[in-house]
Amino acid sequence: MTTTSYKVTGMSCEHCVSAVTSELRGLDGVSAVTVELVPDGVSLVTVTSAHPLTDDAVSAALDEAGDYRVGGA
Amino acid sequence: MTAAPEAARPPAGPESAPGGESTGRESTGAPREVSLSIEGMTCAACAVRIEKKLNKLDEVRATVNYATAIARVTAPAAMPVAALVAAVERAGYTACPTATLDEGPEALSGHEGPGQQATPGEQDDPAARHAAYLRRRLVVALIFFIPLTDLSLMLSLVPSLRFPGWQWLLVACTAPVALWCAWPFHRAALKNARHGTSSMDTLVSLGVIAACGWSVYAMFVLDRGSQDGSLWERLIHDSGGGIYLETAATVTTFLLAGRVYEARARRIASQAMRDLAAAAAKEVSLLGPDGTERLVPASVLRPGMRFVVRPGETIAADGEVEFGRTAIDRSAMTGESVPGEAGEGDPVMGGTIVLTGRIVVRAEKTGADTQLARLIRLVEDAQAEKAAIQRIADRISGVFVPAVLACAAATLAGWLLAGSPASPAFSAGLAVLIIACPCALGLATPAALVAASGRGAANGIFVKGYQALESSRSVDVVVLDKTGTVTTGEMSLAGVCPADGVSRAELLRRAGAVEQASEHAVAAAITAAALVEAATTEAGPLPRAEGFKALPGLGARGTVDGREVLVGRERLLIEHGLTVPADLARQCRAWEQAGRTAVLAGWDGAARGAIAVADTVKPSAAPSVAELRALGLRPVLLTGDNEPTARAVAAVVGIDEVIAGTLPADKAAVITRLRADGHRVAMVGDGVNDGPALAAADLGLALGSGTDVAISAADMILLRDDLRTVPDAIGLARAAFRTIRRNLAWAFGYNVAAIPLAALGLLNPIIASAAMTLSSLFVVASSLRLQRYPLQAASQHQEESTNARLYPRQGQLPQAAAPCRRPGPRPAADDRRRQILHRHPHPGRRGHQGTAGGRPRPARRAPGPLRRRGDGRRRRHREREGQGSRRGDRAPRPVLKHEPATGKLPSKGMQ
Repeated sequence: MTTTSYKVTGMSCEHCVSAVTSELRGLDGVSAVTVELVPDGVSLVTVTSAHPLTDDAVSAALDEAGDYRVGGA
Repeated sequence: MTAAPEAARPPAGPESAPGGESTGRESTGAPREVSLSIEGMTCAACAVRIEKKLNKLDEVRATVNYATAIARVTAPAAMPVAALVAAVERAGYTACPTATLDEGPEALSGHEGPGQQATPGEQDDPAARHAAYLRRRLVVALIFFIPLTDLSLMLSLVPSLRFPGWQWLLVACTAPVALWCAWPFHRAALKNARHGTSSMDTLVSLGVIAACGWSVYAMFVLDRGSQDGSLWERLIHDSGGGIYLETAATVTTFLLAGRVYEARARRIASQAMRDLAAAAAKEVSLLGPDGTERLVPASVLRPGMRFVVRPGETIAADGEVEFGRTAIDRSAMTGESVPGEAGEGDPVMGGTIVLTGRIVVRAEKTGADTQLARLIRLVEDAQAEKAAIQRIADRISGVFVPAVLACAAATLAGWLLAGSPASPAFSAGLAVLIIACPCALGLATPAALVAASGRGAANGIFVKGYQALESSRSVDVVVLDKTGTVTTGEMSLAGVCPADGVSRAELLRRAGAVEQASEHAVAAAITAAALVEAATTEAGPLPRAEGFKALPGLGARGTVDGREVLVGRERLLIEHGLTVPADLARQCRAWEQAGRTAVLAGWDGAARGAIAVADTVKPSAAPSVAELRALGLRPVLLTGDNEPTARAVAAVVGIDEVIAGTLPADKAAVITRLRADGHRVAMVGDGVNDGPALAAADLGLALGSGTDVAISAADMILLRDDLRTVPDAIGLARAAFRTIRRNLAWAFGYNVAAIPLAALGLLNPIIASAAMTLSSLFVVASSLRLQRYPLQAASQHQEESTNARLYPRQGQLPQAAAPCRRPGPRPAADDRRRQILHRHPHPGRRGHQGTAGGRPRPARRAPGPLRRRGDGRRRRHREREGQGSRRGDRAPRPVLKHEPATGKLPSKGMQ
């Protein structure tokens, strides 16, 4: 079990939260996703998964969910 | 017409243009265009997500506009619309196909799906549908409200009146209100609960459910028949048997009423956007190789095609003049008031208006590639980026709801700990929830908004929505567009310099005589000055110029009193063999540096004098700038003109900061930069070129004489040209916002005060009702005080305020303002000018380009009575147009035009 936090930009409302959550949940091995929403700022997305996720996979999932990106300070 | 909307925003790249020039799509047949109206988007990120989901489908290209809630999709003909709708629904939103911007019956032919049954007007406008949805619920709530309130209170307080089956009667009355009418609140509360958040809806939903749940329990379980004890005794203590159904009904009804008001305001705002888009349905007169003209929809236009534009018509695409010469009114695009000249080989812009001659244009950029389309896109982008402000009521609820829940839990725990049986403990806890939901909450914002709108509307100030009120609070910089905003956009005499041996009167008289026959704005200014001069020197009417001829480059030639007089730029005179004395040339350059337009007049082989004209600064500009400062705002002048011109104007009106030489497309960037510096920016403008800046600003104020793009982009619309309405509008909006806050304090205050009573188990239906009613009364009364908000400009317009047209109804936004640009001194010439210089020529008059004028547009849903009123106003306006002139600010410019025919609007990409 690993838990990783990502700083995600581009999220502005609860819709975004649910989209990001559902996409990340869809990744292999992910068991839990929590999002601390900072509208139009850097939100903190915490992913719990059975094995470490590659950054690419997370980025791809975020991109899938909408115009969200990992990054930010 | 199906192609119209898509041409405005073709999904991607030029190859996807409607009509598909067979770009590798042979396999699937011609792609078709579908517009989906999307519901459920809450931010710009939603739009992006839907876009991605749609684009993932095979050969589908989609763009989603958050502001208009429309997805424009290019899909293979084989793909059913249902598949597109399903894709959107998978993303968590709802969609239905729409004929939004289309009017022809063919528009629906390609669509299937649930939206088809709806009438076009309902169908194309989610905002209208939402308003109707709420209105239906409000009507039902109102029907049950009164009998339910009476019965509930009466039967609760006077049990002796209870009759067999009374519970069932009450339940029958309550169920529709508490379940169906309040469903929007329940639904929103549920949605919020899933995300672990709470809003106003949560509070309402909780209150209604608690009140109903408790009442049902009290009616069926606690009903002890006709009890002993007086009415008073029961009032004091018996919250156990209290029935609060009327609380549920009141809360639901009041909140629904508030929502209906708001929805109506939103619908009107979105209607303005849609009208703009509808303007895309235009036709253009294509010139075939054999010289025949063919009227086709502008969407068919492709680069390389040639089309004819006649005086008064709008050019449909960016291109190059192939044949002919004309003056062009570019004011809509650039804000520049002086019409430009265009001859063979000159580039012309879509959206500009041909004034004098017929020209043939070869299209270079069409549809979404035109500059106009790009500007409109900038407006949309800016609007989408501006995050919706969370209403203050929701922000408070976010804290209030958990607090109330905690309070209720504490009450329950407290009673139980104190050794009370479960029933009263439970009833006290529930009573806290019941009383906590202030029904004035729903009225706090709409009541202030409506009162402010009413106050503003009587003075030509339109508030588009709540956002404008909230943004006005923190604005600290006001950016004023120069041309058409601070200045009138009209030319007037700014200087006369006769050569040696020539009198001022003679110079003006001769120049005026020649210019009298010209259409040009500069010419009109000179003529007007000459007429004034003639009147003051009693020299009699201006002589007639024989053999008048307009020359390119602001020039004209004519024979006055037997002498050939030439008026024009220095170069023109030299080309015609006239000598220009050095001092005159120097004077011209000095004027030009100061931002004026200089022309020379010459006869008998030499220039005999120089005349300067300049854009007139509005008389109201200087006082309004002073008032803006008094409000603590920093005025900034923004213009595309050069620095000296801008400085000259700024100095006159008392502005220190000038941002000059800004290209139309960069104006929004200037605003964004100011905002990035930590300022809250209000923008005042009128042109299409101001649109993006208006949308980008925290608070956009469009002058009603402005273009539709500007009006749709702005948050507030000022119908008067009087600039003093700007400080008035900001002041009023601030006052309204203060009122909203005060309202909320009342609303919450009353109910919070009742919470301890409820917690102690002392709540009874009388107290509950009184708290609700009193707080509502206070909210309404405090809002009504806005009606007396003092407006500076209002006192200046006493005589006009008696005019019906200046009492536009709240909710009637100008679809297009009619700028009667120059109420000059010559009635005959004036009429002609209006026809020609009109920014939005009446589409029907020429029966050609504005096809929308010839076809009834069924989609409009404005309320009937208002529409008729508007028509009347237009008629009155027409009559007034025929009358003589008015002075500057009072010119009959800011007049609403309620024409569904929108052919005159700058079109969305059709140009």
